[in-house]
Amino acid sequence: MRVTQFSWSENAGWAAPSSNGTDSDLVFFFGNRQVLACGARYHELRAKFPHAHIVGCSTGGQIRNDDVTDDEIAAVALNFDATTLRVACEPASAADRSRACGEAIGRALAAPGLAGVFVLSDGLNVNGSELVAGIASVTGENVSITGGLAGDGADFHETLVSANCVPRKHLVAGVGFYGPAIRIGHGSAGGWDEFGPRRCITKSRGNVLFEFDGEPALDLYERYLGEDEAKGLPGSGLLFPLRIFDPERPQHDIVRTILAVDREARSMTFAGDVPQDWTAQLMRGHFDRLAAGAAQAARQAVDGLGEAHSGDSVAILVSCIGRRLLMGQHTADELEATSAEFGPRIPQLGFYSYGEISPHRVSGVCELHNQTMTVTTIAESAGGPRA
Amino acid sequence: MHKLLARQLAKAAKASGEVDLQALLALVAAAYEQSDADRQRTDRSMSLMIGELEQLNHGLDQLVRERTAELREREFELQAQNLRFDAALENMPQGLCMFDRNERLIVCNERYGEMYGLSPVQTKPGVTLRSILEARVQRGYHPDEPGLYVENILAKVRNSQPYYTEYPMSDGRIFAIHHRPMAGGGWVAIHQNITAQKQAETQIAFMARHDGLTGLTNRSVLLEKMEEALARLRRHGSPFTVFMLDLDLFKIVNDSLGHPVGDELLKVVAARLLACTRETDTVARLGGDEFAILATADDNQQGAAIATANRLLAAISTPFDLDGNVINVGTSIGIVLAPTHGANVEQLIKNADLALYKAKAEGRDSYRFFERSMGLEAITRRTHQSELRNALTNGEFVLHYHPIVDVHTREPASIEALIRWMHPQRGMISPLEFIPLAEETGLINPIGEWVLRKACADAAEWPANVKVSVNLSAVQFRRLCPLDNFRNVLDETGLPAERLELEITETVLLQGNEENVETLHQLRAMGISIVLDAFGTGYSSLSYLRMFPFDKIKIDRSFVHELAKNEHSASIVSAVAGLGRNLRIGTVAEGVETEDQLVLVRAAGCTHAQGYLFGKPCPVAELNFRRLGQRKQKSKVA
Repeated sequence: MRVTQFSWSENAGWAAPSSNGTDSDLVFFFGNRQVLACGARYHELRAKFPHAHIVGCSTGGQIRNDDVTDDEIAAVALNFDATTLRVACEPASAADRSRACGEAIGRALAAPGLAGVFVLSDGLNVNGSELVAGIASVTGENVSITGGLAGDGADFHETLVSANCVPRKHLVAGVGFYGPAIRIGHGSAGGWDEFGPRRCITKSRGNVLFEFDGEPALDLYERYLGEDEAKGLPGSGLLFPLRIFDPERPQHDIVRTILAVDREARSMTFAGDVPQDWTAQLMRGHFDRLAAGAAQAARQAVDGLGEAHSGDSVAILVSCIGRRLLMGQHTADELEATSAEFGPRIPQLGFYSYGEISPHRVSGVCELHNQTMTVTTIAESAGGPRA
Repeated sequence: MHKLLARQLAKAAKASGEVDLQALLALVAAAYEQSDADRQRTDRSMSLMIGELEQLNHGLDQLVRERTAELREREFELQAQNLRFDAALENMPQGLCMFDRNERLIVCNERYGEMYGLSPVQTKPGVTLRSILEARVQRGYHPDEPGLYVENILAKVRNSQPYYTEYPMSDGRIFAIHHRPMAGGGWVAIHQNITAQKQAETQIAFMARHDGLTGLTNRSVLLEKMEEALARLRRHGSPFTVFMLDLDLFKIVNDSLGHPVGDELLKVVAARLLACTRETDTVARLGGDEFAILATADDNQQGAAIATANRLLAAISTPFDLDGNVINVGTSIGIVLAPTHGANVEQLIKNADLALYKAKAEGRDSYRFFERSMGLEAITRRTHQSELRNALTNGEFVLHYHPIVDVHTREPASIEALIRWMHPQRGMISPLEFIPLAEETGLINPIGEWVLRKACADAAEWPANVKVSVNLSAVQFRRLCPLDNFRNVLDETGLPAERLELEITETVLLQGNEENVETLHQLRAMGISIVLDAFGTGYSSLSYLRMFPFDKIKIDRSFVHELAKNEHSASIVSAVAGLGRNLRIGTVAEGVETEDQLVLVRAAGCTHAQGYLFGKPCPVAELNFRRLGQRKQKSKVA
C-alpha cells in the first residue's frame, strides 16, 4: 500500500502530491464546511484522482500530523496492492430513520471478504448509535466499523459528507475494504475524569434527555457552565461530557456528547441514546489526561495492525470537537501524543467530529462514542491474509 | 520554553523567519483568556459539585439518622416484645417448652423446671429432650415404667403429630401434656398439673351419684340399682325388698335445735342404717329425712324383711346424743317385696310410699308391708285433699260457736269458735276428720288464718263483755306466731286484743320450745289471753303451768264425764281447780251436760264450764245473747 498525504489552503491551493494520482484507489479529505460547500474542491480532487473513490466530510477542525487547522483541507490518497473497495451512500433523512439508513449501508457493502467499514456520516441529522447498530446488524460482529460524524466547527448548524460526489448535507457514506490483505486497526479512548454525584436519568426519549433526578437536564448544565458559557450551548455543553451506563453493567459505560438544546422544553439532544433509568455522571477534562487518552487510543490502533505489513500505513484520527473546545491551543498536545505513538512511519490525519465510531474497548461491539479520540489504522499485509 | 509558547512562536513566524508580534500577542492573549475561562469553569464546577455533594451527604446523613432511629425503635419494640413474651411465659401456670428439629431445647419457662424438679442447668437451651427425660426419671417424676416413659415420649414427638396425653406421676400428681409440632420441625409442649382438676372430676362424679350430706347414694342411683335388681329378677328370679323410711319428729328437731343439729342427726342415722344392712344392700337418701334401702332377698323374703325392719326401728329409736343434746326420734318404714308388690321401679316406689304413709298414719315407729287396699285409701285421701283445697276458695267452711260460761252466773264469759266443713255432697264434716289432712298438706295454715279472721270479725259484733276463743294447733302456732299477723287481724276487724283468747295444747310447749314461750308472753303483753286446752290428756306435766302464766286451764271433758262415777277424776278436777285458784288461773270444765255435773264442777272449784248444758255449738246467726241471758236468769231462779 502507498500513502500520499496532501493538503489545500486558501493561499496555496492544493499542495500537489508528489506522485501521479491516476492509480490511487481511495482519497479521504476533511475540511471546514464553508470551504467544502461550494463543491469546487471536490471537482478539483476528482480531476486529480479520476479512478479513485473520493470520500470526505466537513469538520470541527482538520488534523494534519501534529497540527490542527481550521482553514486548510487535509487529504490522503491510498493505493492498495491487493485490496478492493466499495463505497455506499444513503441519505440521512431523519434521526429516527438512522437504523434503517445503517441497514441500507450494511446491505450495500455486505459481500464476501468484507474486512472493515469506514463510515462518514452527517453529524446533526442522525442518531449515531442507531446508525452503527443498523450497519452492524447486517455486516456482523466480525467486521470492524470505524469512522465518525461530520462536524461544523462550534456552530452545530450544518454538516456535509461527500461520497464520490460534491459534499452535501444529510448524507452517510460507507467505505468497505475487501480481501485478505487489508489490515485495519482501531482504538478509542477518552481520558476524561468523571466528577460530582451520580444522577439518575429520570426522563428521556431516544437521544433526547429531559431530566436528571426529576430536574430538567438543561438546568444542571446551565448552572455548571455559568451564565456566560451557557450562552454557548450546545457547543459549550461539550465541556462537560456525560458518562452514562446501565446501573447493572457499570463497566460498560459510554460517553455522550451534546448536539442540540431546546430551551423551551429544557431538553438536550445527544449524539446517541440516553436510556431512561440509566445512571449518568458529568465529566471534565484535563489537558494532560486527555492527551494521555489519545495516546492510549493510538497504541490500541497500532497494536491492532499486527507486525507484518508491507508498504505504507496511515492513521485516520477522529477526535471529538468537545476535546478541541476544551483544550483550545493545547489541542496539539493530544496530536503530539498520538504522533509519538505512531512514530515517523505512520502519518496521521483526520478531523474533529460530532461523534466517533469504533468498537467498544471492553465489549468489542461497534458503536458510537463521544468525546473520545478514535483512531483507525490502515495497512496491507506482506504475505496475504494473516493466519 | 513552554511548549505552548514554542507552538505560538512557530505559528506567529513569518515565511521570512521573523516573528509577527501582533499574531504572537493574539495567540498569547487567547491562551490567557482560555486559561482564565478554564479556571473559572473549574472553580465554578468544583464549588457546585461540593454543594451538591454536601447536599447529598446531608441527605445521606438524614437518611442514616432516620434509619438508625427506625432501627433503634425496632430494637426497643423487639425488647419490649421480648419482655412481654418473657412475662407471659413466666406468669403462665403451665410449664412450656419448645424444642428444635434436633430435639434440643430452645426455650422453657421456670414453671416447667419446677414441675419436674429440674435445675436451671438441666433446662438450659440446647439440652436434648432425652437428657431432660432422663433427669425427670432420676428425680422420680415419671410414671411406673421409667424406661418405657422415655422411649414412649421420644416415639410420640418423632411422629410429628399433635397429641394430648395425661401422665400420672409416681408421686400421685397427674400431668397433662399438649404437644404441637411447629412448621419447619421441632415442637412446642404445654405441661399442666391437672391433679386438682382430676380430683374435682372424681368428686363431681361421686357427687352426681351420692348425697352430699350423708355420703349415701342418691335417688338416681337407687333407681338404677332397682332397675338392675329387676333385671336380675327377670333373669335369675332373684327377689328383692325395698324399705322406704321417714324419720318421725324430725321436723321438730330441725325447728327446735336448728338445721346443723338436724344435719348431724341425718348423718348419724345414715351410719346406723348402713350398720343395719349388708354391703350388697343399697342405702340411699332420697331427700330431707327420707331414706330407702334396697336389699336382696332369699327364700324367706318376708321373714327377712321383718327382721331387717325391726333392726332398723331399734337402731333409730335408740336415743341420739348430738353435742350434748339427747334426741329421741323414731322411724316409720314402708316395705315392698319384689316381685310380689310390683313389676317396675315406679310401681315399687309408689307402693313403698303408700306403705310408709300407712305406717306413719297408724302411729309411727312401726313398719307396714304394702297392701292392695292402701292404693284405694290413697285415692280417697287424694280426693279429700283436692276437695279441702277447694273448700277454702268455695267458702265451704263455717264457724260454729260454743259458749263458755261462769259457773256461778251462767253468763257467757267467752265463746269458742269451732270450724265445720259444709261439704256440698257429704254434708257437715267434723274437724276430727279433716284437720289431720289439713295439717299433713299444710292447708292448716290458710284455714287457721281464715278461722282467726272470721272469729274476730264475728266477735266484734258481740256485747263487749264477751270474748272469743280460737284454737291454735302447734303447727299453726309456728306459722301464725309472727305477732304482726295477730295485730293485722285485730286492726282489720276492730276487735280489742283483750277480747281474744287463744287455746293452745301442751304440744306447743313440747321440747321446751323457748321461742314459743317468748311468743306467748308477747301475745299476752298485747292483751290476748292464753288458755291451755285439754289439760289432763297427754303428758299434762304441771311444769307447763310453771313455764307460762296461763289465763285459763281447760280440764278435758273425760274427767267431767267421770266425775260422778270415778273418785280419781273428781280428785283430779278438784286438784286442778285448786291449783288454778292458788295460781289465780281460771279453770274451765269441758263437757258439762247436766245440772248435776255443773253442781259438781262448781263444788270442785272450777270457775267456768262449757257443754251442751249451755247449748250446742251453733252458727253465729243463731247465737242469742238474750236467750243466753234468759238461761242465766233461769239458772238463777233454779
